Amino acid sequence: MIAELVSLFPQAEWDIDDDGFVTSAHPFFPPVWEIVLQSIATIVVVAVIVKFAGPSIKKYYRERTERIQNEMDAAAEARQQAETEATQIRSSLGDIDAERSQMLAEAREQAEALLAEGHARIDEEVAALHGRAESEITSWANRSGDELRVEISSHAARAVDAVVAESIDDALAQQLIEDFITRVGAGQSPVQGG
Amino acid sequence: MNDASIDGYAKALFEVARADGTLDEVEDELFRFARAYESNDSLRSTLSDQSIPAGKRQAIVEDLLGANATPTTVQLISMVVGSGRGSDLSSIVDALVQRASSAKDLEVAEVRSAVPLSDDQQSRLRAALANATGKQVNLKIIVDPSVIGGLVATVGDVVIDGTVRTRVEQLKARL
Repeated sequence: MIAELVSLFPQAEWDIDDDGFVTSAHPFFPPVWEIVLQSIATIVVVAVIVKFAGPSIKKYYRERTERIQNEMDAAAEARQQAETEATQIRSSLGDIDAERSQMLAEAREQAEALLAEGHARIDEEVAALHGRAESEITSWANRSGDELRVEISSHAARAVDAVVAESIDDALAQQLIEDFITRVGAGQSPVQGG
Repeated sequence: MNDASIDGYAKALFEVARADGTLDEVEDELFRFARAYESNDSLRSTLSDQSIPAGKRQAIVEDLLGANATPTTVQLISMVVGSGRGSDLSSIVDALVQRASSAKDLEVAEVRSAVPLSDDQQSRLRAALANATGKQVNLKIIVDPSVIGGLVATVGDVVIDGTVRTRVEQLKARL
């Protein structure tokens, strides 16, 4: 049968050996008719494949494409979401920075206010201490003056007692009595009351 | 003790002294003892102490006065102290002196002096006070060194002060 089939092709690049097998005269290329047959067979196979396996393959590739597309869409969405989150994070970071700056500013302001208040209070206390110290110094000075005056008066009083007591002898005592009698008798009483 | 009781004791003492005929002397001694009694806290608290037996208080009086006063004076003071009226002794004596002076139509003139006055000085002082107050006075001299010098006389409500003590006090007040 093969011989009959080969005979249909006028080319002589092939030959039939003694055992009835077709042999090629070219070391690399088969005979043309084999190529034609192989091509037809290939076309048939491809057609069969396209006929029966094509839809499945197409479906597979379509689904794969869709899956890839979905994955790409998901990736894009994820990327978008990531960018959004990144934006939010950057915004949050910005807000945190702003808030931190605000807090630092407020803390600094409060610290300055406290410092100013502390300075003011210390100044007031120092002024009050100065005033009190000056007042106390003045008071002490006055008190010392008063105490000195009292002390002098006390000493003077004791001195008067001592001097007067020592200066009155019998003669003077009698003279005082006589003066009293004379003045009372004359209506010139030293002291009168009731 | 109320005034009636003081007057009762004063009247009793007065009658005893007058009956004894030593009224003037007893009155003077009682007056001087009362002034000394006033100025001596220890003596006053001892003779006023009811926890001390009456006999012991009377013995103290007799020891103190003894020969320095008439027996009538000693007995009268001893009687007052023994009856538990030691705290009112000065008031009783003052009432007696007032009664005795009134009986003689005299006003009691209490005079304090740093030194004793002679009879002549007392006489002239009595006349001077009578002239100053318009009343005859029963002069009672109290020797009180605290007056330092001069005299201070109290006649009723009138005080005539010529003491050095007062002048010194005035000087101290100015100081």
